Amino acid sequence: MFFYYLDLACRSIKKTPFLSVLMVLAISIGIGITITTLNIYKMASVNPAGERSDKLFAVQLWSQGEDSWDEFNPQITYQDSFNLRRGDIPVRQTPMFRTGGAIQTDNPDLAPILEGVRVTDSDFFSLFSVPFLYGQAWDKSVDQQAKYEVVINADLNQQLFGGENSVGRTLYINRKPYKVVGVVDHWSPKPKYYDVNNGAFNDSEQVFVPFSLTPIEEYQSWGNNQGWKHEDTRTVAAKIVSEQHWLQYWVELKDQHDVELYTAWVRSYIEQQQAPGRFNSPNADVQIMDVADWLIENQVVAEDNKVLVGLSALFLVVCLVNMLGLLLAKFLKRAPEVGVRRAIGASRAQIFSQHMVEVGLIGFCGGIIGLLWAWGALSLLAAKFELEQALTSLDMSMWLVAPTIAISAALVAGIYPAWRVCSTNPSIYLKSQ
Amino acid sequence: MLQIKPILSMLLRSKSSPLLLLLQIILSVAIVANASFIIHERLALMDRDSGVVEQEVFDFTMYSFDPSVDLVQQQHKDLQLIRDLPGVKSATFSSMTPLSGGGWSSSFTIGTSEEDERSAPNSAMYYGDEQMVDTLGVKLIEGRNLRPEEILPTFTDSGVKGIVSKAFADQAFPDESAVGKVIYNGNLGEEAIEIIGVVERLQGAWVNSDNLEYSVIIGVELTNAFMRYLVRAEEGTFTRLKEQIPEVLHKDQKNRVIQNFTTLTEHRTSVYRDHELMASVLSLMVVLLLLITSLGLTGMVMFNIERRTKQIGTRRALGATKRDVVSLFLVENYIICLVGGVVGGLLAIALGQQLMQHYDLPQLEWQYPLATIVGLVIVTTLAVVFPATKAAKISPAIATRSV
Repeated sequence: MFFYYLDLACRSIKKTPFLSVLMVLAISIGIGITITTLNIYKMASVNPAGERSDKLFAVQLWSQGEDSWDEFNPQITYQDSFNLRRGDIPVRQTPMFRTGGAIQTDNPDLAPILEGVRVTDSDFFSLFSVPFLYGQAWDKSVDQQAKYEVVINADLNQQLFGGENSVGRTLYINRKPYKVVGVVDHWSPKPKYYDVNNGAFNDSEQVFVPFSLTPIEEYQSWGNNQGWKHEDTRTVAAKIVSEQHWLQYWVELKDQHDVELYTAWVRSYIEQQQAPGRFNSPNADVQIMDVADWLIENQVVAEDNKVLVGLSALFLVVCLVNMLGLLLAKFLKRAPEVGVRRAIGASRAQIFSQHMVEVGLIGFCGGIIGLLWAWGALSLLAAKFELEQALTSLDMSMWLVAPTIAISAALVAGIYPAWRVCSTNPSIYLKSQ
Repeated sequence: MLQIKPILSMLLRSKSSPLLLLLQIILSVAIVANASFIIHERLALMDRDSGVVEQEVFDFTMYSFDPSVDLVQQQHKDLQLIRDLPGVKSATFSSMTPLSGGGWSSSFTIGTSEEDERSAPNSAMYYGDEQMVDTLGVKLIEGRNLRPEEILPTFTDSGVKGIVSKAFADQAFPDESAVGKVIYNGNLGEEAIEIIGVVERLQGAWVNSDNLEYSVIIGVELTNAFMRYLVRAEEGTFTRLKEQIPEVLHKDQKNRVIQNFTTLTEHRTSVYRDHELMASVLSLMVVLLLLITSLGLTGMVMFNIERRTKQIGTRRALGATKRDVVSLFLVENYIICLVGGVVGGLLAIALGQQLMQHYDLPQLEWQYPLATIVGLVIVTTLAVVFPATKAAKISPAIATRSV
């Protein structure tokens, strides 16, 4: 029966080409706009930590004095991060910040390359599940006993060493030699959730060096530095003992029990620090957030995106109302034909489902064409605004989402017209035949 | 002449199709009004003047990684080398670039004693030398420019001179001239900056900040390993200079990375990209929505007219002219359009209020719903006139044959 109805639907569509094209156009544009905005929204709000999202927590400290910032800063100070490292409750933990330097190798033909460098502990790699192509992270002992060791990303490995296994080779950061211990296999989570304050959709750093080298090498911060009081922080040595916030701190906690234990432990640390006069605000506290909350807190999804999704949903509603009107026009025009069918024995339910199949078919066509619109719109936006690939590639799920929305929307719009046409009284139309 | 009463009763009797038209118009007005308001607001943001001769200015960064180099001496030498290149009008080191989205800012302290101590608005800090004003091309409207001998090697508690933007001067020192006044980069008495000039306009780096217009140029030398330079050159020389500058500087001292040559025009495009994106997507939405609405209107009107061919024939037979028939349909649809427009306008304002509450959007202005309604009236006219004229042409004899 379904295929017979499908056949009837095709004939009916061919009979009224103008109205049908109009309907398909209306629904496809509605779907196109909705899918475009939904795609950007979805890609921006994707949680790259996956199933580990509720195990990883960003740590924030209210270390500012009274009458300064009235909320937690997303970053913490060097002295706090240094002290928090002593905690033994988290499974893994790491402080980190972004610096940069000129990278060279022993190859004199290679011009120095300026690269962003992440300064962090060895736990970073397992905490964020960083995949390795060659080698591994530096040993845990390096986190205490500083050594000039480095992990690089595959792209840089390609550039510097032609992509071969470079473990054991030497590279120079600001003319200081570092031994390569590991090569990361193309890792760049989007959004860059481990550091959303310095470009949430930027690529990951290509170079990772041990945090323990910070006081020795005096790495300059290449990220946001925020102070709540006037301090001289022009040298790294001064900055290390200052109240400036410029490091991110992440911990991995295995369950809710540990979350509470850890929070309590940090609170006791805050109390200790109050003795020498730090944390003197009445609001002094710790706040830890898992990845999902962290992305929301830092507004990784721009408000503009939400407004756009809302408006495009309304847009889709307009398209549906439009379609409803057109369907009503089309079906009622066919009332005499339906009258004959009813007279020779078709039940109301059969007439109804026949029309719903037709509506579903229109919805399906609209959905497919709408996907093409969305794909075109996204490519256009990507080209014109140099948006990150991460935001404008059509998500695979949309191939399912688009026809589903289109068909169900069309069916909703079709209920009233189909009901109207199946409830017509056949005798009226038979009379004038 | 315009028989509104019979038209109204006709509309009230036919249930669904005018109602659907009405619903569509209401929603369209609500969306289009809000969307066009947001578009207008974004375009206005993008239209603001930075005060800088953007088409002539570019910046680049330099990272010196050789610790044995005397950065101070090297910088003097570098600036001279850049300034000597053909096409270069002026050049300076700088702590930041206007419209770049990144830079330095500070809230300065003003006042003479603890009693009248207050904070000046948070403003952009342009560390630069005596060529900064010329390089940016900002217009000095009061006081004078910095002199070469006034550029100090480091920040000291006194002796530093600075130039502020007019917006900053008006905010920090209302009702009096800012020239000769002192602001402190720290607590009262610490790191004083004496204001020696005021420029008409100079924006900072953060275009979404309320403090975009507040800027201070500070005559203090910056010599870090990582440096930014601003260059003003004749138009059309950028492609040549971005090759030539690294070449000349590397010849003098090769242990540094020189890159990120970016024109201010490029900075402007990228810093306003999100706004442009929003405005473009919304414009697209408005155009498509109007298209859909007018297509839908046309379809519905055509159907209505077709269904009422007999009625039209009867009217014509009873003496209605073709014009009467067309105006009948026009009036009928204007009524729907206006009712829809008014309700839609109210909905638009309600929606605007929701947006304002939940998101950082300003209050919708009433002109936008109004303009949308006017637009809809035009669209309705176009959608009605064509099928109605066609229907009115049908001979009454044919139209009423089977009655």
